[in-house]
Amino acid sequence: MNKIKIGLPSKGRLKDESIKLFSSKGLNIQNTNSRNYFFSFEENSNFDGIFLHAREIIERINDKTLDVGISGLDLLMELPDEYQNNVKILKKLNFGFADLVVAVPNDWLDVQNIADLEEVSFEFKEKYNRRMRVATKYPKLTEDFLLSRGVTEFKLVGSLGATESYPFTGSAELVSDITSTGSTLKENNLRIISDGKILKSSACLLVSKSFNIKSLSLFK
Amino acid sequence: MTKALVNKKNKENISKKILNIFKKKGFNFIDLDIVIDTDLLAQRSGEAFKKYALNFKDKSGKEISLRPDLTIATAIQYIQRKKKGTEKLSYFGSAFRLNKKGDLKVFDQIGCEIINSKSSPEYLILSTVLSVFNKFKKKQIILNHIGLFDNLINSLNLPERWKLRLIRHYSRKEYFEELLNRLDTNYDLDNEKIKIDYNRLGVLKKLDADKIIGGRKVAEIIERFEKKIKDPRDNFNGSRSVKIIKDFLKLKVPLKKSADIIKKFVEKNDLKIKNLNHVLLKLNNLNKKLGTKQDVIFDAKFGRETQYYTGLAFSICKQSIELARGGEYNNLIKTLGGKQSPAFGAAINLNQLI
Repeated sequence: MNKIKIGLPSKGRLKDESIKLFSSKGLNIQNTNSRNYFFSFEENSNFDGIFLHAREIIERINDKTLDVGISGLDLLMELPDEYQNNVKILKKLNFGFADLVVAVPNDWLDVQNIADLEEVSFEFKEKYNRRMRVATKYPKLTEDFLLSRGVTEFKLVGSLGATESYPFTGSAELVSDITSTGSTLKENNLRIISDGKILKSSACLLVSKSFNIKSLSLFK
Repeated sequence: MTKALVNKKNKENISKKILNIFKKKGFNFIDLDIVIDTDLLAQRSGEAFKKYALNFKDKSGKEISLRPDLTIATAIQYIQRKKKGTEKLSYFGSAFRLNKKGDLKVFDQIGCEIINSKSSPEYLILSTVLSVFNKFKKKQIILNHIGLFDNLINSLNLPERWKLRLIRHYSRKEYFEELLNRLDTNYDLDNEKIKIDYNRLGVLKKLDADKIIGGRKVAEIIERFEKKIKDPRDNFNGSRSVKIIKDFLKLKVPLKKSADIIKKFVEKNDLKIKNLNHVLLKLNNLNKKLGTKQDVIFDAKFGRETQYYTGLAFSICKQSIELARGGEYNNLIKTLGGKQSPAFGAAINLNQLI
């Protein structure tokens, strides 16, 4: 029988919670040292494991070099729709909760909801002859959300980090960002608009579509 | 010869004939750029257009698109030519668009456009395109005046914000329906939120009015906020307006009767529509010029999906196949960076002719 190839997040809370989840199922990680990417389970030799970046795990399940993995729903949904043909969500897990939200400067008190944002974006374009910029690490989800809510006059600005700072450095006017408690947004003088939740995300157990789920009975 | 080669030869022959007709009517041929600056298109149509345009990045990272539309390509070239006075232009080429599934569709088109004309160009364009289809029997013309819808909305008892919203999203059919539902149920009212906003206004008023917050001036934020809370958000009759809009969009009548029917509709609903007589006169004039031999229908829904139409819009069909489509686009050139210029044009769908 072929071994099940499994990918787990390589760092942070997602890694810790994933390890904890497998331990709770009686599978303890056997990993010789922290620099070694590969692991196995002490109690079950049917698995070949690897620690990877959460995004990389989805890529590898998509190209079938991994059978199973744990990653964020936000990361999967941000990828082109074709990925969802190959990567199946087996289970939404009870950790890694975060929301992708639209946030504006706290002092924009005239913008409370998406309808306000739609109006302001048109007014902004008329006044400044350019489109409002939205800084984000999630261009696809943000674009789809804004267009579906009637906000068409915007321009996406790709961000690699510190997205919350963009409206105050002149690089964007508003942001869409992932947040668990909202405190980082608050600390950076940003406010989530009332109907601006793009996605409710959590960690997910993902499997390749061609993978036989029956062989993963421990997650039933 | 293979079928594809026969088709290609046919297309070339028909194109030559049509371009000759256009030439005799005084239209000068121009060769249009196949690639358009994506930013320029997005500046005009917003990000939504990217969903149906084929976009690339050049070596410097600049986004470019294969032209999704030949009227836009003509308008861009008109701006680049920097000519003054009336221009009568014709073109021939392909437009590249993605369908909902993301598959590329290529539309071969021949068109003619009149830009910056001091007289009304609609009949010249319509008769020029119609002359191509002289030998076609049982064809039908569908006609509408997009500006009439805008003026209808402006005549309704609605907050300004709602009027603007309905006009802006008229071309997006599904979202427009959603807006009507919201208007019908007063969905966007939230007096609790307004109260909280109002409490915070004092804090903002103490700041320097020219201070920039997230790209907007403090004065601008205060002005919009005050305008917003003064809007009679909960005391307008949304349902009545929705019914008027829905009833108006159902109007589909022979052109010869359209002016009378629209007039009766306006009277029945006690509306005061700006420029109504001007529009009705245009419809009556077109009816007279086109004569009784043509089958012409006024359809209040027609042409809404073409975002840049501002006035008359028409389609020439045979059975359910659209042979040509055109309309007035008086704001397109300005939004692409040129001067405000009236324009009217039409394109023949060559794929359907073959």
